[in-house]
Amino acid sequence: MIALEVKDLNKKYEDFSLQDVSFQLEQGYIMGFIGANGAGKTTTIKSILNMLHLESGEVHIMGKNMREHEFELKQDIGFAFGDIDFYSRSKIKTLTNVLKKFYINWDEKTYYNYMDKFKLNEEKKVIDLSTGMKVKYNLALALSHGAKILILDEPTSGLDPVARDELLDIFQELVEDGDISILFSTHITSDLEKCADFITFIKDGKIIKSSEKEDFVASYRLLNGNEDQLNEVKEKMISYKINSFGFTGLIHSSDFDTSLGINATTPSLEEIMVYFAREESLNV
Amino acid sequence: MYNLMMKDFKIGIQPWVLIMPLLAGALMLIPGWFYFIVLLYFFWISIPNMFNEFKTQNDLMFTMMLSVTKKDMVKARVMVIAILEVLHIVIAMLFGLLTLHLYPNVENFFFAPYMGFWGLCFIMFGIFNILFFPMHYKTAYKYGKGYTIALIAVMLYVGIIQWVGIQNSIVFNIFTGTGADNMVLQLSILIIGIAVFIVLTMIGCNISIKRFKKVDIS
Repeated sequence: MIALEVKDLNKKYEDFSLQDVSFQLEQGYIMGFIGANGAGKTTTIKSILNMLHLESGEVHIMGKNMREHEFELKQDIGFAFGDIDFYSRSKIKTLTNVLKKFYINWDEKTYYNYMDKFKLNEEKKVIDLSTGMKVKYNLALALSHGAKILILDEPTSGLDPVARDELLDIFQELVEDGDISILFSTHITSDLEKCADFITFIKDGKIIKSSEKEDFVASYRLLNGNEDQLNEVKEKMISYKINSFGFTGLIHSSDFDTSLGINATTPSLEEIMVYFAREESLNV
Repeated sequence: MYNLMMKDFKIGIQPWVLIMPLLAGALMLIPGWFYFIVLLYFFWISIPNMFNEFKTQNDLMFTMMLSVTKKDMVKARVMVIAILEVLHIVIAMLFGLLTLHLYPNVENFFFAPYMGFWGLCFIMFGIFNILFFPMHYKTAYKYGKGYTIALIAVMLYVGIIQWVGIQNSIVFNIFTGTGADNMVLQLSILIIGIAVFIVLTMIGCNISIKRFKKVDIS
């Protein structure tokens, strides 16, 4: 079943636009939503949550149109925005007491289980929580109202490696039963190497590719070679860097001719992002 | 919508805002005063503080993430403000009754706190609501411009109507003079005032909903 379907989102700003953004997230999987700062990740997420007035496009959650069934579908969605604080001077207890009233399927027992599991103290104020704790608190809330889709905007940004690793383990645990799906945006690609099943890559408001992680990585090759070899593939490359030994660059696997004898390796997600970012500077 | 209103009362609004009707209302005990001021404190103090607090606490983003619709968000907020306005008037009315009882022979230069006067006060709140909310919901977080314009309009209304009340003997008599003992007249003005308040607030709310649906939450 498709948990989240984003179809042809278009949103114009003066200096930026989302163009025909489309992707699908299957139920029970983790999708990493990657892109450089300002690529359109948060704008896309806000569009999914009906926060933006779009020029065109549709969002379907569990097969239902978000615009038409906003109230009902929000019962099934849990959110975490990594870098925004709300009512930070309120105690967790107070905030939870207000929040839980909005959800039909709120389960007090589940809530306290997760609060224990995540070692969260209800008497603390939101401002006293570390960034990782805030994400965990958001997760506890989402899971207590039975959210089936978790939409997390940069949940791991600003976390130390230990907290990040712990959070990624939690994400993986959550999707194990196949009920919950997670879409999480990040520019820290190493997080996704570890836990994502699918990758959607956005650049300058356009989706470059959205597919299974293995397919995603396999569709690009990182080439290393000398300057003569560069001249043979230059035109087809996404971008490249010249160094004292020759060049390193990224190419679509379909454009790469193995008979040229150029040394090719599988790129990391980070390398794919970096070389796509260089594409522009080459074209200038 | 009820949950959204409770959210505002529990975490959105600071407790002192709820005590303000009592504190301001007690000023009604000043004999022969310019009683519009008692309610103007709501605009001068409570409104800017509340909306500043909403902005600081990222209330807009917080609320958008809850299981609510944009329409209910606006309706609940307008309702909360309207409840506070009515609370200010009702408490001031009670203190007003006490004032009339305590100082029966005071000579009123301004409008005395009879029912007709409270009808004028309801209209004042209606004017504020129809101007402030539609301007605020162009962005749903900025409030300065809408607040300033609505406040100027309210103060002009108060100034003009009180000036007429002093200059024009017919108007003076209706609200403070011989007409003050005419229960039918007083009650009619109050009911008209309440009706105007409800209609203006509802129009303001509907325009706000239409505008808010087009707002990009950032």
